[in-house]
Parts: sequence; C-alpha cells; structure tokens
Amino acid sequence: MIKEFFRKRSINVCIVNTGGCNGCDIELVSLLASRYDIEQYGIYVHNNPREADVLIVSGPVTLPWKNRLKELYEKTPEPKIVVAIGACALSCGIFKEGNVCGPVDKIIPVDATIPGCPPRPSEIIQAILKVAPIALSKREEHLKKVASEN
Amino acid sequence: MNVVPIGPINPIFKEPIRIKLIVEGETVLGAEIEMGYVHRGIEKIMEGKHYLKGIHLAERVCGICSYIHTWTFAECIEHISNIEVPDKARYLRVLTTELERIHSHLIAISVYGLAIEHETFGIWCLNTREHVMDLLETITGNRINMGFNVVGGVRQDINKEMIDKIYKKLEELRNDMKNILEIYNTGPLINLRGRGVGVIGYKEVMKTRAVGPIARASALPESDWRLRHPTYKELKFKPVWAEEGDNSARTLVRIKEIFASIDLIEKILELYQESTGVVRNKAHIKGGSGEWKNEAHRGEVTYKISLTDGGIIKRIIIRSPSVMNLEAYKYMLKTCPTVSDAVTTYISIDPCVSCTERTIVLVDKKTGKTEFYSFK
Repeated sequence: MIKEFFRKRSINVCIVNTGGCNGCDIELVSLLASRYDIEQYGIYVHNNPREADVLIVSGPVTLPWKNRLKELYEKTPEPKIVVAIGACALSCGIFKEGNVCGPVDKIIPVDATIPGCPPRPSEIIQAILKVAPIALSKREEHLKKVASEN
Repeated sequence: MNVVPIGPINPIFKEPIRIKLIVEGETVLGAEIEMGYVHRGIEKIMEGKHYLKGIHLAERVCGICSYIHTWTFAECIEHISNIEVPDKARYLRVLTTELERIHSHLIAISVYGLAIEHETFGIWCLNTREHVMDLLETITGNRINMGFNVVGGVRQDINKEMIDKIYKKLEELRNDMKNILEIYNTGPLINLRGRGVGVIGYKEVMKTRAVGPIARASALPESDWRLRHPTYKELKFKPVWAEEGDNSARTLVRIKEIFASIDLIEKILELYQESTGVVRNKAHIKGGSGEWKNEAHRGEVTYKISLTDGGIIKRIIIRSPSVMNLEAYKYMLKTCPTVSDAVTTYISIDPCVSCTERTIVLVDKKTGKTEFYSFK
C-alpha cells in the first residue's frame, strides 16, 4: 500500500542525444533550475538507462547510433516509455539529407512526441507529466503480473 | 593495465562521446576518445544550397553557441561581397553574442559544479542563467536557435523598454555573479578538487594549439580573437587571463569573462543609443571565396566559404574550437591522480561535441599522403 503510493512520485528519466544539435539537451538541463524544478514533480533526471522509466530521445538517429539505440532500448527495464523531443527526432528535420538513418520511430517504438526547435521547458514538463501516469499504470500491471507468476 | 569505458550515455555527459581511460589501479595513464556519434554531415548538406538556407543550417551546428555560428557565417559572406552593415546591427550583434557567451559559460560552470559534486554551486549557476535566457527571449524572440542574424544586418530593432529591462537585469546578474565568485574563491571543496589537477603549461598549449579559456588560463591572452575584430576594437576590449592552467583556473577565467561581458554590454548599449538608422541593408551577393574568424565561447571558430554570383554555396569548411581542446586533454591527464579527476578535467575543458564532429583530413606535406579520420 505504502509502496504503491510512493511509486507514483518516483520517475527516473534518461536523456539520449542521438545526434541533435544540443538545443533540446540544454533545455532539459535548464529544467533542473529552481524556476522549473522538475524534481518537485518526483521526476529525477539521471542518465542511466538501466534504471530509467522514461527515455527522452532528442535528435535524428545518425548511422553510428542505429544499433546502439536498439541495445539501449533493450537494456532499459520492462515497463518503459519513449518520448521523442524536438523536430529532428520527429522527422529528421533539417538534417534529412545528411548522415542519418531516419527519425526515432523508425528504430524503436515511440509513445509520445514533443514538437518544437527546441520546445520550451514548460512544454517538456507538461508532456512528461501527461505521460507519467501511463508509465505508472503500466508498471503496476507489470508488477502484478510478476507477483501472480511467482 | 585495465580499461575503463565511459559513455556514450553517462550521468555527467550532456553529449554522446566515448572515453576509454587506461588505468593502473586508480592512476590514469592515458585516454582514447571515440567520436562520431553526432556527425550529421552539415557541410555536405550545405553544398549546392542558397545562402539563405545555409544560415539556418549554420545555426544548428551547435545549440549552445548557435548565435556565433550565424554571425561568423553572415560576416564571412559580407566580407566576400563587400556588404556594408549598419552601425545599429553591428552593436546588436555584439550585444546578443555577449549575452550568449554569459549563458554558455554559466552552463559550463554549472556542469563543472555538478561534476565535482558541489550541487548547490551548480544549481545557483543554472538559476542565474535564467535571467540571461529571459533577456535573449526579449531581444530575439526565442531562447535557443534564435534566427536573429541575416546577411546584411539583423532582423529586428530593440526599443526603449527593452533597454531599460536589460540594464535592470544586468544589475541583478552582476550581484548574483559576485556571490558565485565569492563561493568559488572560498569554498573548500571546490579548491580541493580543482587546484593542481589537470595542469597544462604554456609549451604544451602551443604544441596542441588549444584555444579559448583553456589557452587563456595558461597565460596566452592574445589567443582571444575579439582583439582582432573591428567592432571590439572600438570598445577597447581587454582579455581575461590566468597563469596556473589547472581546472580551477579555467573555471575562474570563465567567471571573470562573465564580468567582462557585462561591462561590454553596458558599453555597447551606450554606443547603440547614440547611433541612428536602419538595422538591415539589402545584400547584393558577389561570387568569390573568403575566410572569417571569430571568438566563440570555447575558442576561435573559422568559416571558409566559396560562393557563386547567385549566392549558391560551392564549398564550406567550418573549423570549431573543441577539436584542438580535446587534443590538449591527453597532456592534462598526467596530473590526474584518480578516475573521477580525469572526468572533471574532461568537463572543465567544456567540450562541445556537436561542434567538433567535422570530418578531419590530415595531409603529410613531405610525402603528400592524405588520411581521413573516418566516421562510420
């Protein structure tokens, strides 16, 4: 009971830059500042894919990233959500003719998208907060499934 | 000998890069850097495109120093085709660049603070940065990737209310920075992790051709390209420098440069208020090729462009500062006692990976052999 209550306020986020221009990434870094303060919503930005619930992918997928991104997605523990952020991640944007192999949803399944070049920090918080309940309900289902199997 | 791989995704990196540290026990002996994760081939995309499309692509070389890339691109084309830029536009360009320099340096200091595990210091710098982002949004209309520069001037003028707001915010910024400087000078943890770690001397800087705050922290103040820029010459600009050449000195140079930038902005606002006229001239493009250099936030950035008469880009070469600074990293490793010091040293040179990932061609002049640093 207590565990379920507190799990609603603990989401780990991993930022993956697959070849973007850094613009989306520094808007994510500025979420840590006290003005936006992402940690008060119970979201912890910690770039470790092995304990992440939400993967935030920014940038077009460049050729060296193609296999690495798949590996990274497999390493993330099971109830997981992928958010593609920025114009490049949605459609390759301005780099369509370059050394890229396509947008993110061509490589791994994407659950939510945030358009913009780059999107404002408040939009990013809004999107993560909308996606978070889905992640939590997925996780609860997964935990029940594991418990019933044991 | 063991190898500790770090990256491409790591809690302290904001960009994907892979470092393989060769260690014996806890002592770091050497490092191997594996790049190519962010190589998108921007120069290749730009070839055969109109310069109006090129300036948008130049902005997206790097998100942190996006404005200086468009400035250098525009100035290079203005230099080739002898376009005269109005005074107001020149001053507005310097104003926006200096604001962007403050925001870039603050993010570098803050990431360094988080890397030495002094979280309070890091978050304070991020909070101070939000004032600057507000000012950039007021002037240009966007926080990052501003789209403010065009060839021949800037897009928009500023009004009296904005100037008042800039003066007011700069005063707040200066007070915050005084506080940060005091913490930096007196905090025991910061000195413990920074002094005498990652030292690079004058000779080694000359060998590796390091630029920017790294060179200026090792007693090389003339490496600042702002000294050679015509608009900065009007302002009688003087660079900031230090002698020690360690992690602490590099960050201190960045903090002092923020104060210098605030002074520059106040001077430029006075000059702006005296000038009159339009902010944008019509650009008549003539073909040719040329080169222009500017001081970006991490060192000198070079653009070499050759154009046709219609304004189509034939070939463009961008050289960004972090290539040389990453070369200097291997000399800094000699004074890194532990693995965590090697990581903070990497953070203290403030590498910008998405700027760096250009294709590098080495030509041996004696034998005429060429070699490419390949990206998969």
